[in-house]
Parts: sequence; C-alpha cells; structure tokens
Amino acid sequence: MNDLGEFALMVALATALYGCIGYVLAARGNRLDLYLSADKTPVIVWGCVVVASIALWKAFMVDDFSLEYVWAYSNRDLDVFYKVSSFWGGQKGSLLFWTLLLTSYMVVVYFQNRKRNAKLVPYALVVMLTITLFFLVLLNFSTNPFERIPLPPEDGRGLNPLLQNYWMVIHPPTLYLGYVGFTVPFAFALAALITKNLDDSWIRLTRKWTLISWFFLCMGNLFGAHWAYLELGWGGYWAWDPVENAAFMPLIIATAYLHSVMIQEKKDMMKVWNMSLILLTFVMTIFGTFITRSGLIQSVHTFDEATLGYYFLAFLGVIIVICVSLIASRLPLLRSKNELDSFLSRESSFLFNNLVLLGIAFATFWGTIFPIVSEAVRGIKITVGPPFYNQVNVPIGLVLLALIGIGPVIAWRRATWAHLRKNFFKPVLIALVFGVGLWIWALPSNRAEVYSFIAFVLCVFVMSTIIIEFLKGTLARSHLHEETPLQALGSLVWRSKSRYGGYIVHVGVVFIFAGIAGSQAYGTHIEQHVKVGESLQIRDYTLKYERLGFIQENPTKTRAVAQLGVYQNGRRVWTGQPEKEFYKGQNQPVSEVDVRSTWKEDLYIILADFKEDDSATLKIYLNPMVSWIWMGAWIIAFGTTVSVWPDRLEARRRLERMKVQDAVFSPAQE
Amino acid sequence: MLADLENALMCKCKDKCGKVLINCTCDTSNKTRADFQKLLDSGLTVQQIVQQQVALHGETILSAPTKIGFNLTAWVTPFAAILVGGYGVRRILNAWIRGKKAGTPASGEKSPDPQEPISSNYSRRLQEELDKLEI
Repeated sequence: MNDLGEFALMVALATALYGCIGYVLAARGNRLDLYLSADKTPVIVWGCVVVASIALWKAFMVDDFSLEYVWAYSNRDLDVFYKVSSFWGGQKGSLLFWTLLLTSYMVVVYFQNRKRNAKLVPYALVVMLTITLFFLVLLNFSTNPFERIPLPPEDGRGLNPLLQNYWMVIHPPTLYLGYVGFTVPFAFALAALITKNLDDSWIRLTRKWTLISWFFLCMGNLFGAHWAYLELGWGGYWAWDPVENAAFMPLIIATAYLHSVMIQEKKDMMKVWNMSLILLTFVMTIFGTFITRSGLIQSVHTFDEATLGYYFLAFLGVIIVICVSLIASRLPLLRSKNELDSFLSRESSFLFNNLVLLGIAFATFWGTIFPIVSEAVRGIKITVGPPFYNQVNVPIGLVLLALIGIGPVIAWRRATWAHLRKNFFKPVLIALVFGVGLWIWALPSNRAEVYSFIAFVLCVFVMSTIIIEFLKGTLARSHLHEETPLQALGSLVWRSKSRYGGYIVHVGVVFIFAGIAGSQAYGTHIEQHVKVGESLQIRDYTLKYERLGFIQENPTKTRAVAQLGVYQNGRRVWTGQPEKEFYKGQNQPVSEVDVRSTWKEDLYIILADFKEDDSATLKIYLNPMVSWIWMGAWIIAFGTTVSVWPDRLEARRRLERMKVQDAVFSPAQE
Repeated sequence: MLADLENALMCKCKDKCGKVLINCTCDTSNKTRADFQKLLDSGLTVQQIVQQQVALHGETILSAPTKIGFNLTAWVTPFAAILVGGYGVRRILNAWIRGKKAGTPASGEKSPDPQEPISSNYSRRLQEELDKLEI
C-alpha cells in the first residue's frame, strides 16, 4: 500500500503538470482535442491524492513503522481517534492533507461548473492545478510522507501529547478548509484577470465559496483558541503567537473583502480594490504557511522540521509578482465609474470599515515581522508578544466594533442627518444608560478595565441597532401580511437571508467582543501549595483539596488526578478533577485542566505540581464571560448558515436587479 | 508585582517555547517565577529586575519592544498607516462625491427628451427606489 501511495503521488504530479500545460496550449491554439484531454486531469489528480491519503491513513491504522512519518507521529498505544488525526500532526502529512483538500475543492469546482462559465472555469482550474503542482513537488521531492526506515522499529515515538485533544482533531481540518478554500475565489479572480472578463461574474461565482471559506477560517481560529484554552493550561485562549497571527490576518482581510464586495455588487465600484483584497487574502494564507514551515519566526506551533521556508518564500514571491503584474496590466479595464452621493452613506462607512480591518491586519503583520526587521536594521532580534498587540489592536478593534453598529443602519447612497438621528437615537440612548449604570456599578480602575468598559458600552450599542432592525422589519411584515410576530420574524429572515444572516453573524461577533472584554479585564487567579484536606479561596468560591490519585491508562501513559470539592455560598456545586499526564519518552508532563463553565464565568483549575506526600500546587483562574466567546462562535455558524442557505427568490431578485441596472446604466456608460 | 514581571518577560527555557512567562507552564517557567518572587521579596523593583534580565539575556527577553529608538517604529507605524489610509479614504470619497456632482445636470440645462426610453432623472429615481427596497 505504501508503494501504491508513493506511486499515486508521482502520477498526480505528472497529471497535474500535463493538465496545466494542456489547458494553456488548448486555449492558445484553440485545440478542442487537447482541451478535452486536459479536462480530465483535475479528477485524475484528485483520485491519485485520495489513494495516497488512504495509503497513509492505513499505515497509521496498522502501525506500519517502516514509514518514518508514522514512526514519528504514532505508536501502538495511541487511540484510534488520534491515529486518524496523526495524519496532519506533522509537516509531511499536513502537506498531503492540504493537497487532499485542495484537490477536493478543485473537483467540486470542476463538476459545479462543468457545463457553464466556459470563459473562466478552464483558467481557474489551471490556477488550482498549478497550486496543486507546487504541493505535489514538495510531497514528491522534499517531504515525502512515504519515506521508509531501513530497519523498522518495534514501536513509534508517539504523537505529541499536546495534540492528543479532541479539539486538535477538529481545529486543523477546519482551519485548512478555510485556508485552502480561499484558493477558489483566488483562482477565479486570476482567471478573470487573465481572460479580461472583469465584470462581477467571478464574484457571483465565488460568493458562496468565499463565505464558506471565511466561515471555516473563522471557526478554525476559534477552535484553535478553544484548544489552547483547554490544553495549554495557562488560563488564556489567545497569545498573539506568530502562527495564530498567520491564521488571523487572512480572516481579517477576507472580512474586509466580504464587506467591500457588496459595493461592487450594488454599485459596480471598487473593482481594483476588491480584486486586490481577494488576492491579498490568498497571499496571506501562503504567508501563514510560510511562517509555520520556515522556522524563521519562533512559535509554539511551528513544525519540528521547519525546513520548507525557501520553497514557500519563492512560491509567495511568484504569486505576488503575477498578481501585481496582472492587476497593473488590466488597470484600464478595472477602472469603474466611481460616484458617491454623500459622505454620509453606507458606502463610506464600508470604506472606513475596510480601513480599520486592514489596519488591524497590518498591525498584526507588522508585529509578526518586526523581529526580522529589527534584526536586519539593528542586528538585534527582539520579541513582539501579547503586550504589543493588546496595546495596538485593542483600540483599533473598538473602532471596528463601533462601525459594526453604525454601518448597517446608514442608508446606501445618501443618509440625511434626520435619518441618522432617527436610526441612532434609541441605540445611543440605550448604550448611554447602560454605560452610566456600568460606570456606577464597576468604576474602571486601570487601562484594561477602561477598554472593557468602552467595549461593553459599544456591544450594547451594536446589539441595540441589530435588535431594532429586526423589530422594525418584523413589525412591518406583521402589519403588512397579518402574520404573528414569530411568523413575521421567520419570513423576514427567510426572505432576505444574506442580509439577516449577516446581522446574526454580527451578533456573534458582539458576543466574542464581550467575552474578550470580560475575561481580559475582570479575571483573577491564585496559585497555592495545599495539603489534602486544605482549602483555597477565590472570590466567592471555596475549593477543598480532597485527594490525589494515579491511573495507569496504558503502558505509555499515566495520569495523576487531583480531586477538589468546589463550594459556593456553603453549597457544593461541582467536583473539579485537574490532571497531569505523563507520557513515556516525553520530558514534560502535560496538564489537563478542569473547567466549570457558566455564562457568567469559568472556574479553571490547573494541577501545576505535586509531591510524594500528595500535597499539590494548584493554580485557579476565575475567567469571566469566556463562554460568551464560544457562544459567539456558534452564533456566527448559525448566521453564516442562514446567509449561504440556497435562496431561489434572492437569486431571481439579484438577476432582475442586474437586468434593471444594465438597462439603467448602460446608455450612460456608453 | 509578579504578574507585571510575568507579562513583561518571555520564558527563557532551552526549548525556546516562545511564550510570555505568564502563559508558560514548563518547569523552567515555574523555577523562573520562584526566582523572581525571591528577588521581589528582597526589595528589588519590577523595573530593576527587568533591567537585570535584559542585561543577562538581551532585548529578546522582553515580551514587547521598548518605546525608544528604532523600536518606537514598531508602535507608531500601525497608527501612522491608519492615519495615512484615513486621509486617503477621505480624499477618495471627496473625489467620488465631486464626480457625482459633476455628472448631475445643472439647473437650466436642457431637460432630457421625454421620448427617451429611460431618462437620467428617471433612472436616478428608479435606482433610489431600488435602493430603498434593499434597505
């Protein structure tokens, strides 16, 4: 099976190369026979990559330690669940997994557009095949997952204990689905540039791809934060690590694109800007991969054998050169008739939203590369950690939060002051009343609390604007169609899914902001060494250390489990069981925290250390509102599902609108 | 006090974990915390301990760039970029608004031919109505 896997990768490489050349030559020479032949290559490449992936998975399942990769990331005692995820646990497998997702997307694009969009699709497939080709070159010549060990050992080295967590099974595939997903809009954007079909057809074709990729990238970031929170055992969920930043930046740029593309769809403006944003999003996904795999920047997440930097740097350079030169050469065709009625309009609020989002992306990028800049300029490599990002990105983030409330309520084209007063009076009043109450209840005493205070007030403002929008729409429908309020709400959302889905996503974002504000400013922690029977106090919780037990789970893993009775107002409310896990062959034990999570706060317990007399060092964190962040993730998931749900009515409306716009604007443009 | 130090300094473990001390859970970080607590108990201030650590390990030990010399560019550049971008957005919006005004027929200009299938006035009104429907 290993030979078959290796052979499949070689065939995939040759086929992808043939496909790229075939498509291009067919297009240049107008050769139908060549086109028909090349047109089969996406499916063949996908089939070969699937075979190679199955071969690698099988090697993990049957403990085939003749493969160096299986030996390095698995062992006989590893749970089957984690043997599946070991596939992407290291450099080689993760590249194969990336290629598997990329080719799967490519095949979906192929079948989805097989009999339509003949102008763009072949070129989009060439772009996707070329990117696949790059990964296949790496897999065949640099990081072959089927590399053999001459004398296979009896057992493997085992998977890094930190990766043996169910969130780690979910987090990387979700993140990769997002990263790789942006290849599709990127490929169509390049196809549009190459073929000079620069109307918004490429945007319409990739609208759902972009939304779904954005959703997976967003979830990938949040799942990663959840994994860090539960597995790394430091009481936090985001450390502004370079690799975290690498996943965060494309998400932020894609968010800017999702907003600005609405202006192109409605007003046929900002073509250059939108094209640049989607290309930049893809470039940032490759930059993220470069960071993870180059070893250039120190990070907890980088792969052990981070040796692929030069390949990715070269690939990144080629992509940037192609993108910039294509945009420059098509600039006259991309110029649109940009007109705006008023400074006070949704269009301008979207532009400022783009500015702030790109500001956050740039600040994050600048912080990530500043150690390299500093080393180049001063010869001193410095560290840029959380204090920098918190001081720079938090104020910019608060401006963004305000814009989330302002943008959707301002009218397209022109808003009058009377209109603004009418739309903002109630939300501003509610936010002010809330702000005064909060100020009296909990006077901010340091910078973090001041930021949190502002964030809470803005969260209330944004929520008010969204709730009022829903209420207004529901009441209007209820009156017009004589529906019950619940029916009216349902049909309101159903009839305008993308708009109200977007609002629901905004609610999720507000939850995340509130969760961050609460946990960053009002959290507390204690660290204490206690004997069995002794108690600890943190705010209104009393934790009684009851016992320490040891469990030999399998020959390679032993768990030390502490038991704590948790009391609140004299009543036992929970039993906490933080653990320390010891793995054979691993120097550092791994902390398994135990968390009691409520909507109000998380009680987060870490077993930091223990002695022979069973006394233990315990770290207890009280993190307010962390669960709001995870709730926000599910709300975003719901909102995105509403937005991308197939809607015939919306599609028909959009088509009719386009026809009307064509009729209205064509004579003027001519 | 200890938390301030943990926030200001990186973990200095051999594995180069790349974590801020407050986020690190390795044995080295536990030992470092205990050492810092002893130094604080002996009367040294946070600032003195930070300076001592920089002298020992160099600037890499700091969790964020200092706000002097070249390092100041780390802090200033993002805000400067946003200010420049904001100025650019403002200029672009002004140009677009001017473009719109220039395209609007002035008063006294010959009114459009009523026989034209879609006049500019009518198309503008139609577009406004369509926009209202979308809101």
